[in-house]
Amino acid sequence: MSETTQEVSPVETREGTVEITLKVNGKSHRIAVEPRMLLSDVLRHELGLTGTHVGCEQGVCGACTVLVEGEPQRSCLMFAVQAEGREITTVEGLTPEAGLSPLQAAFERHHALQCGFCTPGMIVTCEALLRSGRPVTEETVREAISGNVCRCTGYQFIVDAVLDAAKEGAR
Amino acid sequence: MSEVLKPQFTGARVTRLEDARLLRGQARYVDDFEYPGTLEVAFLRSNRAAARIQSVDVTEALAVPGVKAVWTFADCPITLPDRPFQVGQPVLARDEVRFVGEPVAAVIADSRYRAEDAVEKIRVQYEPLPAVVDSRAALADQPRRVHEHRPNRFLHKTHVTDGFNEAFQSAPHHLELTFRWNRQTGVTMETRGCLALPDPVSGRLTVYAGHQSPHGLRGMLARLLKLPEHQVRVVVPEVGGGFGIKAMFYPEYVVVAEAARRLGRPVKWIGDRMESLLADAHARDAIHEVAVAYDDEGRILAVRDHVIGDTGAYAFPGFPGAVGEANWATEMLTGPYKIPHVSIEIECVFSNKAPLGPYRGVGGPIGAQVQEAIVDAVARALGKDPVEVRRANLIGPEDFPYHTPTGKVYDPGSYGESLERALALVDYERFRKDQEQWRAQGRYVGLGLCVFVEPSAMAESEAGSIPYEAVTLRMEPSGVVTAAVGTGPTGQGHETTFAQLIADQLGIDVKDVVVLHGDTDSAPFGGGTGGSRSGTIGGGAAIRAGQALRRKLTQLAAHLLEAAEEDIRLEAGKAFVAGVPARSITIRDLARTAYTDVARLPEGMQPGLEVVARYQPPGAATYSNGTHLAVVEVDVETGFVKVLDYVVVNDCGVLVNPMIVEGQIHGGVAQGIGSALLEELRYDENGQLTTTSLMDYLLPTAEDVPRMRVEHIQTPSASEGGIKGMGEGSLIAAPGAIAAAVSDALAPFGVFVTELPIRPQQIVAWVQAAKTEAQAG
Ligand code: FES
Ligand code: FES
Repeated sequence: MSETTQEVSPVETREGTVEITLKVNGKSHRIAVEPRMLLSDVLRHELGLTGTHVGCEQGVCGACTVLVEGEPQRSCLMFAVQAEGREITTVEGLTPEAGLSPLQAAFERHHALQCGFCTPGMIVTCEALLRSGRPVTEETVREAISGNVCRCTGYQFIVDAVLDAAKEGAR
Repeated sequence: MSEVLKPQFTGARVTRLEDARLLRGQARYVDDFEYPGTLEVAFLRSNRAAARIQSVDVTEALAVPGVKAVWTFADCPITLPDRPFQVGQPVLARDEVRFVGEPVAAVIADSRYRAEDAVEKIRVQYEPLPAVVDSRAALADQPRRVHEHRPNRFLHKTHVTDGFNEAFQSAPHHLELTFRWNRQTGVTMETRGCLALPDPVSGRLTVYAGHQSPHGLRGMLARLLKLPEHQVRVVVPEVGGGFGIKAMFYPEYVVVAEAARRLGRPVKWIGDRMESLLADAHARDAIHEVAVAYDDEGRILAVRDHVIGDTGAYAFPGFPGAVGEANWATEMLTGPYKIPHVSIEIECVFSNKAPLGPYRGVGGPIGAQVQEAIVDAVARALGKDPVEVRRANLIGPEDFPYHTPTGKVYDPGSYGESLERALALVDYERFRKDQEQWRAQGRYVGLGLCVFVEPSAMAESEAGSIPYEAVTLRMEPSGVVTAAVGTGPTGQGHETTFAQLIADQLGIDVKDVVVLHGDTDSAPFGGGTGGSRSGTIGGGAAIRAGQALRRKLTQLAAHLLEAAEEDIRLEAGKAFVAGVPARSITIRDLARTAYTDVARLPEGMQPGLEVVARYQPPGAATYSNGTHLAVVEVDVETGFVKVLDYVVVNDCGVLVNPMIVEGQIHGGVAQGIGSALLEELRYDENGQLTTTSLMDYLLPTAEDVPRMRVEHIQTPSASEGGIKGMGEGSLIAAPGAIAAAVSDALAPFGVFVTELPIRPQQIVAWVQAAKTEAQAG
């Protein structure tokens, strides 16, 4: 991705807003935001990336998890201005053009989602685990997702899906 | 239909058709819809449990840039229906606030941020009143009446079986226990919200909302906004969990819809987590004072239960939560046991807490915990093994249909078999030996059982009082089927399970059935989802609709293939003559013919392939059952409980999709672990809710929930397809099993759990007290 900020047309600055450049899923966006706007709100409502969900805005549920420089972070605990210049990846950025990523496909095979609300946060968190090179075991998966609340699945099929995806990746 | 159906999809672990969009982050929940010019609402909510409103000053709020309107009751004078208890909740508080979190004013602005700014600028003068927070005191109208014009106790009823007194008094043994369940709530990961879009040309209003009953929501909105029903369209998009709380009708929906109508702009409200903990339907909050009469063998002869239920400040229209809780808990009080006599007294009161409504299982979890604790208490009193006492009391296969002392009729189930299989899965005898050794080493491990009965597919539930569901099927000229249903799934996978049932009737691929739901413009009138009714009632309607369409396809194929109708088979996308597979026509060709080559249709057959079927099951309910077995270890120093092993043997009749059923069970067990060990909405003595974030209201995480082993038994129901509902059984059974396991682990200290959730401090205190007593003794 070689887009630069110059190619993006400048956004008119509303009163009380600041202009920032957000790098999301490999694309740069020049936008005007109020300094108090949460990264989660900007991703969802300014950039239309509604795959990132908001379940609490209290930093507890993990539904809003995105990757910041490859590390899972809660986008509800961050102001958009704090994310300026950092590489953000949302669930949309972990999704292939067509079909499903290996991890997403494992979620489907194992019925690791019901209402789907926690799912993008889970995918982001688990993708980070798979990419980290850390051992993927029942315990490490449970630990990795312990900050992502799922009210529907009881977690077991999520754990199964991640273990399966890790096995596939190793093949 | 006489020919034997070869199910290809029914019973198979079909992966879900809804998953791809959810996994890709493309699914759209209410807050994901953006319409130009949308205004957003923020509510000012009461920070008092009870107070008279002296004045509300909105001047400063109105001056906040971007604010379009600030409403109080005077601006939106609508009150929810007040029947049958003569108490209706004003959509914005009128003259008085009655619980912390009650909406007092609404700000409508061009963004949620600005709306919230303005909320902070509203000045309300309150004159404090004493808060009613203790349900026993509330019964005596102490410290006051919540609603001046009527006593706090709004429901009192009794049910006593003939001969109860004699049976109770003549029994050789008696024991008494008082159970208390604290307040809990469903906590859907997606908060409640709605978006209303006015159409200035037609005057029609479209309302997007995460809701379990699209038609129920439409009916209530139309009624309160005084619009004809067809002028309101409800669209339920993706919903991030329901668990009962999204089956209710809430005041915010009225305010948002009315604002859209009056301001002529799209208006949206998305609740935040604090609002959801404050004002989503709360649940449980009941006291059960129980007395049990039993004999030397541990046979339970009679049970008395006095219930006090606290419904909060208002009763949800159609579902006063405390009544639902108390009714279900007491109607199912004898569970899987042959207890001949009951005496039940229910009293429900208003209080200055948030309104109580449904949460998965409604009174079932309480009833099941009470029922199992009774058995365990009898076993402990007699020095018998709890399993032995269960065996002595269980309803056997020969007893069906079984008439309970509370007037229910159980269809056949596998009560004893599920228990025995669960015990075998953990090697029960071996466990008891190990347990003794662990105890000798100072490790407190306990095993708890819950043999549950789950009423499902009832004529009435929180999803309303509609005893049927409808499915319309339209096979398009392409051969793909569009099905529209009136249910309101919130993650249960109806698009897949209904497609499985329909595909099997038509001999087509499951992916060629597209299930639409949630839009009142396309869905047939239905009750929605709640009370574990969708699989049995909705599934039954799907089968019936499939059968009707199958008849027409068969007729057409018979005509085109010049064969008798009874010789036609539909399989693998083809209609063929039995025994002569070469004489066939594809279902696609049949479909095309039905629409575009109508000269070839048999005489009298209408063009097109479209049917609607409605289905009402034969019984008043069908009863799923099963056994949950939990093994826990209690750290007596910290009071921390760890679930070591969890086994479920489940019987919900014919399985449509075992994978989805297992997912439901896992999720319910997780919620049950939360109910037993973590989740509590705590009000202080002034009626302040002190648990308004997920840091205080603790939900089970992946580290709290163990790996579960699930096995199935299939005892079919008499309903179409033999299906029984199963959405709630796992949350009905799990808290009782966990509580029993903790009691068992702490038996050496004489601890017997009667209050849920169990807090670590309590465990530490109980153990300390027992040790002190032992030293003193
Ligand atoms: S929304 Fe960010 S942690 Fe819940
Ligand atoms: S699938 Fe519903 S919250 Fe996880």
